[in-house]
Amino acid sequence: MTVRLTFLGAFIVAAMLLSSVDRAWSGPVEVMQGTEIFTPPPDSEIPAGPFGDLVRKGEKIFTQTGRFARKYVGAENKMTCESCHLDRGRKPYSAPLWGAYVMYPRYRSKNHMVNKLDERIQGCFRFSMNGTAPPVTSDTVKALIAYSFWMSRGAPVGVRLKGQGLVKLPPPARTPSLFRGKKVYAARCALCHGAHGQGRTSHGGQVFPPVWGNGSYNKGAGLYKIAKLAGFIKMNMPLSKGDSLTDQESWDVAAYIDSQPRPADPRKLARR
Amino acid sequence: MLKKVLSGIALSVLIAGSAAPSAGAVTLMAWGKHIAKEGNGTPGSTACMECHRLNGGGMPSIGAPRIAGQPRRYIAREIREVQAGKRYGPVMSGVVQNLSKRDIQAVALYYSRVHAPKLRDVGKPDPSLVSKGRRIATRGLWAKNIPACVQCHGPGGYGVPPLFPYIAGQNRTYLLRQLMAYAFLKRQDDPQGLMRGIARRLTPEERKAVAEYFSSLQPPDRDVP
Ligand code: HEC
Ligand code: HEC
Ligand code: HEC
Ligand code: HEC
Repeated sequence: MTVRLTFLGAFIVAAMLLSSVDRAWSGPVEVMQGTEIFTPPPDSEIPAGPFGDLVRKGEKIFTQTGRFARKYVGAENKMTCESCHLDRGRKPYSAPLWGAYVMYPRYRSKNHMVNKLDERIQGCFRFSMNGTAPPVTSDTVKALIAYSFWMSRGAPVGVRLKGQGLVKLPPPARTPSLFRGKKVYAARCALCHGAHGQGRTSHGGQVFPPVWGNGSYNKGAGLYKIAKLAGFIKMNMPLSKGDSLTDQESWDVAAYIDSQPRPADPRKLARR
Repeated sequence: MLKKVLSGIALSVLIAGSAAPSAGAVTLMAWGKHIAKEGNGTPGSTACMECHRLNGGGMPSIGAPRIAGQPRRYIAREIREVQAGKRYGPVMSGVVQNLSKRDIQAVALYYSRVHAPKLRDVGKPDPSLVSKGRRIATRGLWAKNIPACVQCHGPGGYGVPPLFPYIAGQNRTYLLRQLMAYAFLKRQDDPQGLMRGIARRLTPEERKAVAEYFSSLQPPDRDVP
């Protein structure tokens, strides 16, 4: 009896070991920490000194990209990093920096390579900001990495945290329709993003970012994929009323927005 | 005297109907000013200036808002919503009930174009509330899904035409009353319920803090479309 139990125990331990090895191979585990979502440290704890200065610089680049990283932002682009990564890169389900920092290096099918965080940041400059990639050794990238590092203080490494990335919606019940999407856009989005997707300005400054046209992200960007855009919209838009559209409405309006004109994918331009 | 006669002529032209549509903007402006100064002439009509002043500076002591330089479409919309009862305002509803569509267009045009200096608020601002309010205004309270106020009301709270009013330099009594009105559903005219949702999620102290903060700022001085 005792012998059998010991055997069983050893078997269980071995199985656990095996499965954890197995998981380690198949990439990070999804950890749903109940309803708890990771809370980044408060601003008041950013230390004085050169590291703190770099963190603060990173935040400025993130929230006022056109001003503090001008040479890497597309000439007509009107976005900031915060346009898509809300609450200064903190809001869950808007690909928050604390969810990203702990997940790199990571394999990406976009370029079939294992990417580091700095390369991921370069990608957002090139596609989302329709600009050029800052060198990994540039102050711009260093400051953004420091900002991400600071924000992830206390987060477990290599773990997919709740609220990380964007929400992945189940496939739409009905094929997304531009016609229905246009109606959702007029009723729920045009107030801020304008009837022509141009966004809105006040006293010469951009207040609501453009969702299509020359000032918006290009066709190489993550949001140019309808599934990603639908997931972003579902949890974040209309501003302050996230999770108020149905899944179907999110798919429809995403299809409508991504059917509108915007700058070309620079990778395709280069090939021509 | 001459002025009176002239505005009398402008008036009779207006009453006669769509006499000269090309001169519409000028006459609309003159008619708007007339309503602001003397009302529209129908029984029971009141001049707007009694509470908002001729230059639109408002009256902090009674919580009448400054309306000078608010976007024209916003002013017109608010008057229509008061008429329709979606915006509960016991004082205003008695006054604007008999304004016609054209009256509303005229008076909205007039007040969107006038300039007024900031008026002294009643009482002194509370510095600790002001700094708490500044934080909410510029950073938001995202744990409660409240964006920074300036994300919708524009940098400095200067407004984003046509439907986001400026709130900088507005008197504090009015600001606080509106936040209460949204929170407790006496004001239900906000597009998509955006302000109702936000005001309801603020605590009473947070509402006070943002009212203190925005009333401590200077209002924008500009021509809005
Ligand atoms: C047009 C919207 C948009 C803009 C602007 C934008 N990004 Fe992104 N970003 C995305 C999307 C979409 C993703 C992919 C999220 C996913 O797939 O889960 C992403 C991913 C990221 C990631 C990795 C997140 C993760 O969880 O893997 C980082 C880091 C990042 N962006 C940084 C930036 C920086 C820095 C800027 C400004 C220079 C910026 N982004 C501007 C849309 C944007
Ligand atoms: C109350 C104003 C408001 C409404 C209504 C609104 N948005 Fe937004 N939206 C914003 C703001 C502000 C941002 C930028 C976020 C930031 O800076 O914090 C944004 C960002 C975005 C972005 C990413 C940046 C970009 O420009 O591409 C998309 C996409 C978007 N909104 C789509 C929508 C859709 C779709 C709707 C309607 C379902 C909608 N929004 C309704 C204010 C609004
Ligand atoms: C007896 C005083 C009084 C008179 C006269 C008056 N108002 Fe008002 N008005 C108020 C008060 C008080 C409020 C605030 C209402 C509330 O609490 O909802 C207000 C609010 C408004 C608002 C809304 C402002 C905002 O920022 O949302 C507009 C627009 C307005 N009045 C226009 C007018 C016009 C135009 C006239 C003349 C036809 C007029 N008012 C006459 C007292 C008055
Ligand atoms: C998501 C967008 C949004 C945000 C964020 C927002 N507001 Fe508003 N606010 C509006 C809109 C839209 C209106 C006009 C509503 C209407 O027509 O009744 C408004 C109206 C107001 C008014 C009434 C102004 C007047 O002249 O009557 C006040 C006061 C106000 N907001 C205060 C605030 C404060 C304080 C905050 C920050 C805690 C804030 N708002 C954040 C969208 C927003």
